[in-house]
Amino acid sequence: MGRVIRGAQRGGRSVLARLDAWLNALYGTRYNPLYHSGALVVGCFVILAVTGLYLLLFYRIGAPYESVERITGQVWAGRWIRGLHRYVSDLAIVAAVVHAFRMAVQNRTWGPRALAWVSGLVLLSVLLVCGWTGYVMVWDVQAQLVATEGARLLDVLPIFAEPIARTFVGERPMPSAFFFLNLFAHIAIPVGILLILWIHVSRLARPALMPTRPLFWATTGLFTVLSVAWPISMAPRADLLRVPSDVALDVFYGFWIPLSQAIPPGAVWLTGLAAVAAVLAVPFRTRPPDEARVEPSWVNPRFCTGCEQCYHDCPYEAISMVRRGDGQGDGSELKGDRSEFVALVDPSRCVSCGICAGSCAPMGVGPPGRTGRDQLAAVKEFVERASPKPDDIVLVGCAHSAARSGEALTGAPLLRVSCAGNLHTSVVEYLVRAGAGGVMVVSCPPRDCWNREGVKWLAERLYNERAAELKDRVDRRRLRVTHASEGQAGSLVREVERFRAEVRSLERTLGESSIELNPECDLPAISVAQEGGS
Amino acid sequence: MGRRLAVLGVSLLAALAIAALSRVPFAEADPVTSVVRLSWRTQGVQIRECRQLTEEELARIPEHMRRTEECVGRVTDYELVVAVDGALALVDTVSPSGARRDRPVYVFRDLSVSPGPHTVEVTFVPLLPPDLDEVDGAEALTWDGTVDLTAGERALITLDAAGAALLRRDAER
Repeated sequence: MGRVIRGAQRGGRSVLARLDAWLNALYGTRYNPLYHSGALVVGCFVILAVTGLYLLLFYRIGAPYESVERITGQVWAGRWIRGLHRYVSDLAIVAAVVHAFRMAVQNRTWGPRALAWVSGLVLLSVLLVCGWTGYVMVWDVQAQLVATEGARLLDVLPIFAEPIARTFVGERPMPSAFFFLNLFAHIAIPVGILLILWIHVSRLARPALMPTRPLFWATTGLFTVLSVAWPISMAPRADLLRVPSDVALDVFYGFWIPLSQAIPPGAVWLTGLAAVAAVLAVPFRTRPPDEARVEPSWVNPRFCTGCEQCYHDCPYEAISMVRRGDGQGDGSELKGDRSEFVALVDPSRCVSCGICAGSCAPMGVGPPGRTGRDQLAAVKEFVERASPKPDDIVLVGCAHSAARSGEALTGAPLLRVSCAGNLHTSVVEYLVRAGAGGVMVVSCPPRDCWNREGVKWLAERLYNERAAELKDRVDRRRLRVTHASEGQAGSLVREVERFRAEVRSLERTLGESSIELNPECDLPAISVAQEGGS
Repeated sequence: MGRRLAVLGVSLLAALAIAALSRVPFAEADPVTSVVRLSWRTQGVQIRECRQLTEEELARIPEHMRRTEECVGRVTDYELVVAVDGALALVDTVSPSGARRDRPVYVFRDLSVSPGPHTVEVTFVPLLPPDLDEVDGAEALTWDGTVDLTAGERALITLDAAGAALLRRDAER
């Protein structure tokens, strides 16, 4: 079973990589809508709130169909705003599903991310319920279909005193109370969505809730144009004593209706529950086995200066600053000699991205095997093995980028890191001083960083003196950062060739030939087992 | 310029696909069937079964809660039989609602028929235990008549206001 799921993940990732590459070529990595899928849902939510408030001004619970007919035919821009409201609600579902798919195939659902996965599923469900209440508000034939089929399904549950389906018998007009309750739900559910959204991002530092401004406005503009060019029209009024006819179904919200008409309600529930259980099980089924699981970060209190940089850089708020002195592996024996505060990693929140390792100048934090010190030890071996040449470049590649393809296609030696944000700048300096003509860091596109902020912090550390910054003495002409997703090997090869040509034209300076790293950093790698720690 | 046009084209296509999928024709404009709808609610036939508690059972109950007789109430099942044009269209046992089956009996069934005139006979009979001969309100409910339905029309057969007889009712407008 596990093998099947991993195979499906690989297949999905391959499809996604191709789509990403294609859209990157078209939109650029900054505006690729697939990278903004989660934020697009929130952007849609904002548009829905604004358009919904306008529509609410004209909606009447005593005459739902007539009031929507009036909105569509008489109210200024009512038809277009109604169209925008509907189209954007569909886009929200599409974006949410794409977002979930991306997270699932990128294996970003288990461990500390399971909360976001489960709450995301709840968000999607609530969004669907909100959409159904929205459709019922119109009280046309589609509303009739949604209401009667929904009632038929709900009546299978033994929780209602009276079958809900009897509300839709048709001998009397639908009471206003029904439409009041429906309207109340349609307005109250979005408030609940905000709460669940807060839970959804509660384990993230600086969550990117909105898409980039150009993408948001372009989306709004595009769907506004669409709602003008292809407006929503009125479907026939609901008539409970007639079989619904001439129904145009919104498949994003009514996908279940053909199923519910084809099989008994109990079977629909079983199918739905099986689907929900399968989705809920994703974090458990995709979690690597214990022996293959990467360990969370760890702080060596002997080296921690209490600078708070890792605390600020952690994208998952997994690091806190605690006072030294409780004697539990936090370096209390160093109290007085070292800083008052020391970093502490919460393993239950740490996804082992290693970004903290790149943030720590004294190399005192990071996942076992990937701290700055471990990286220095690895780069020394790499230099001995690969013998970088002054007229050639070295690739330092994020495991999720196109770096591996780049190595195969260009012949440039590759030093792999788990994430671009994990890379300690001393490694770059070491490579240049060891004789590499240039160092090209290959990362994922910034909005597709599997660890959210790795690319951002890498650029800050290399170019904007964010700790642990790359020293001024390193010639920036010998450094290049390039973003290439898994499917962009072609563009990476072109970048490599361009950089190679630039490096070959550079005149090497004498100062860069002698390796003289800070002796304090040039200590052997320290394993967790030797030191223990916080 | 070419790339911008491509971006615009792809974005428009994606948006058009979403708009098209939001209005997929589902039910045809002219339905080919009609429906006989049966819908009513009745309190059903209440059956109360009582027994005397034994001395031992009484001794286990606190003194102030002792009652010599214990009664359990329930509602009988019903048999629903529908014939359309003389042919049996539905035979079903309708149980009372509620986990203890002591709540009202609800009927809500839609029977598809072809448009045009049909004779319909509905019988709704309480299934009394064999040891009960006569119980108040245990009469069978029946309706028979002709319904002439246009395509897509639903004929509603329900209980009258007193809950004593089945009738065909038109919608209030």
